[in-house]
Amino acid sequence: MNSALPQLNAAPSGTGVERDFQKAILRLVKGGPERQAIEAGQIDAIIDPASGNSILLPEARRALIERRVGFRSLIGLAFDWYWEQDEDYRFVSHRGATDDADGIAEEGIIGKALWDLPIDNMSEADWRTHRQQLEWRVVFRDLEIRRADRGGEVRYVSISGEPVFDDRNHFKGYRGITRDITERKQAEALVQQSQRFDRAVLDALGTPIAVLDRVGSVLSANHAWRDFATKHGGVGTGVAAGANYLAVCDDAGGTDQVDGMAIAAGIRQVIGGERALFRYDYACDSPTARTWLALSVTRMPGNGNASAVVLCEDITERKRGELLLGLELAVARCLANATTAASALQSVIRVICETQGWDCGRYFRLDQSAGVLRCEQSWGVSGAVVEEFLEKSRGMVFRPGAGLAGRVCQSGQPLWIIDGTRGTAVSPTALAPETGEYDACVFPVTTDEKVIGVLAFSAGHVREPDDRMLQAVRSIGGQLGGFLLRQEAADSLRRSEMRFRVLNDLTSDWYWEQDSNFRFTQVVGCSALGTAEILGMTHWELPNVVADEGWAEHKSQLAARWSFCDFEFATLHPDGKRAYYSICGEPVYDAAGIFTGYCGTGVDITRRKRAEIALRESEARLRAALAARSSD
Amino acid sequence: MVRKRKGRGESDPAVSTVVVMALYITDSGPNSVRAIANLEAICKEHLNGNFRLEIIDVLQHPLRALADGIVVTPSLAKLSPLPIATVVGNLSDKSGVLRALGIVGSAR
Repeated sequence: MNSALPQLNAAPSGTGVERDFQKAILRLVKGGPERQAIEAGQIDAIIDPASGNSILLPEARRALIERRVGFRSLIGLAFDWYWEQDEDYRFVSHRGATDDADGIAEEGIIGKALWDLPIDNMSEADWRTHRQQLEWRVVFRDLEIRRADRGGEVRYVSISGEPVFDDRNHFKGYRGITRDITERKQAEALVQQSQRFDRAVLDALGTPIAVLDRVGSVLSANHAWRDFATKHGGVGTGVAAGANYLAVCDDAGGTDQVDGMAIAAGIRQVIGGERALFRYDYACDSPTARTWLALSVTRMPGNGNASAVVLCEDITERKRGELLLGLELAVARCLANATTAASALQSVIRVICETQGWDCGRYFRLDQSAGVLRCEQSWGVSGAVVEEFLEKSRGMVFRPGAGLAGRVCQSGQPLWIIDGTRGTAVSPTALAPETGEYDACVFPVTTDEKVIGVLAFSAGHVREPDDRMLQAVRSIGGQLGGFLLRQEAADSLRRSEMRFRVLNDLTSDWYWEQDSNFRFTQVVGCSALGTAEILGMTHWELPNVVADEGWAEHKSQLAARWSFCDFEFATLHPDGKRAYYSICGEPVYDAAGIFTGYCGTGVDITRRKRAEIALRESEARLRAALAARSSD
Repeated sequence: MVRKRKGRGESDPAVSTVVVMALYITDSGPNSVRAIANLEAICKEHLNGNFRLEIIDVLQHPLRALADGIVVTPSLAKLSPLPIATVVGNLSDKSGVLRALGIVGSAR
C-alpha cells in the first residue's frame, strides 16, 4: 500500500518555516471550526481545493514517514526482491529489498517473462499450469524455481505475485515478491540426506525395529521388522508402518489377549514418561512350533513425533536352551530325591514329559543276561488313549537292533520319529506297535558310554531336535545311567549286607562295639549279660565276671591292637553256677588311621562248656574207676 | 482506502434509527487514528449497532473529499438522518460529536 501512496505535499522543515506554513494553510481554511481544530492540533491534513491534493501538517507528516520507514524495514525482512510485470508478464521493475541483491536481478531480466529465464526445475507442464494461473488473474504463492547464478552455484527462489488492475478494472500486469530460499532448500536437502542415512542405518540393523508416535502409530519400521512379520506370528509382529500398534495389542484376542494387554500397558507407560524402558518376553504358538519373542520398548523423548522405539527379537533358541537347562536340573533333582531306581525312573519320565509337552514316556532296561530290552517303567498324561498305549507297552521286549528301542540300544544314538515315519528306515507298520499314532523321541541311557537302557517318549507332535536338545538328551541319559548304575551297586551292597547279617545272626549271639578305652558303646543282640546295664564297662568289669589269668593276656592283646578270636571268659551266677562266653574282636580305625576302639561278636557257650566240663568230669570219674579196678 | 462498517443491527428501543456516517482520514495520521478510535467508542456506547460508517482515506481518494466538500482531515460527516452535520478534528469532544449525530442529551 505504501508504494501506492501519492506524493505527499509536505511542509518544509524548520521551526520558523513551519510557522509560515501554518499561516499559509490557515488561509486555505475559511471555516471557524476547521481553524480551531488546526490550532488545537487535531488536524492531519488540509485538502487543497484547487488540486484535491492533501497537504500534510508537520505532525502527521512525521508520523507517516516513520510508519513508512518502519514498514519498509518490516517488508525487507519478509522478502528479498519486489517486482512488477506488465500485461504480457514481462518484468518492468525488479528491486532488491536488501543491499545484497544478487538474485535474478543481475541477469538483466527487465523485458523478459519468467519462463524466458534459465530455470531448470520447471517442466513444460509446470509452465503451462503457471501461465494458466496468470491468465486467470489469480494470486500465486511460493512458486519455487531453481537456477544457477553467475558463479554456477545453484540457487532457489520462491516467487509470489498478485494481479494489478487500474481504476477501470483493466488488467495492468502482476506485481509480487521473490525470496531467496537457497539456504532453506539446502537445509531441507541436508535433512532429507540425514533422513535417508538414518533410514539406511535402521534398515542395516538386523534387529526388527519400529518407531511409534505418541498415540502408538508406527511412524517407520526397518527391513528386519517387515521381514520378521512375514515369518512370525504373535501379538504386534504384523503391524505395518501407518497402523496403530497399541490398537493391535488392545484388540488381541484368544491366547494372545493377556500378552496384548500387558504390552499395550507397558508401551503406554513408556510413551507417557512413567518409565524409560519396558521389556516383555512372550510365547507364540503356531500349529507347528512355539516361538518365544522378547519385546523391548524404549522411550524416545524430544524427537519430534517419535515417542518410543520398539525392538522385537526371536529368543526361541535362548529360551529353549534355558528350558533344557532347567530340565537337566529338574532331572538331577529327581535323581537326588529318589530312593529307588523305580521311583527315580517314574519321576524323571514324568518331569521330561511335563516340560517338553510329551504325552508319555517308557523306560526299557537292557537285561544283560537275557540280551533283551524289557519295558520296565512308564508314565503318561491322563487319558484313555495314552493309558491304552502304555498298557500295550507293558511286557514289550525288544532284541538289540529290533524296533526303535532296539535300534537305539544298538547304535547308542538318539532317534526321532517325526510325522510317523519320516527320517527312519523302518516301515510304518513296524513302527505302529511302538509309536501308535504318535511321533516319538528315543534316546539311550548310558553309563561310561555303555548303553544300559532306552528312554522312549511319544507325543502327538515332536519338534525336530536341534543340537542343544540332542546335547540335553545325552546329558539326561548319562545322568540317569549313572544313577541306575549306582543304585544297582547300592542294591547289591544292601543285599550283600543283608546276607552277611543273616549269617552273622546265625554264628553269634550279639554284636558289640567299644571305644578306645575298651568300654562298651553299643551292644546289639540277645546278650545274656544285658544291654543297657553294661554300656560303659569293659569286658573284665562285667558283673560277676570270673577273674583268672586269661584276662592279663587278653588285655595285652588289646593294648597291642591285635585281633582276637574265641577268647573265653566266665561269670558266676547267684546259684553258684558259671556261665561261659566266647568273644571275637578286631580293632577299629577312623579315616585318619587313628584307633577308635574295638568291635566284635559274642557267643554264649555255657551249654557247650558245661557239657565239656561234664564230659571231662565223667572221663575223670571213669579213669578213676578204671584205675581203682586195675589196682583192685 | 474506503472502509465500510456496519453495526450488528441489534434492535434498541432507544436508538432505532440507523445513523449513516462518513469519516475522512489521512492514512495513519495521529489524529486520524485517534478519530477512528473515538468514533468507535461512541458508536459502541450510544448507537448500539444502529449505524453505518464509511472511512475514506483522502490520500487514496482525493477527489472524493473534494466532491464531498471536505476541507480538513479528520472530519466526520453525518449523512443520515437529516440534517447533515460535520465534525472536524479527532473527535475527542464527545458531546460535540453526539450533538452532531443527533443523540442530544445522551452524553455521559
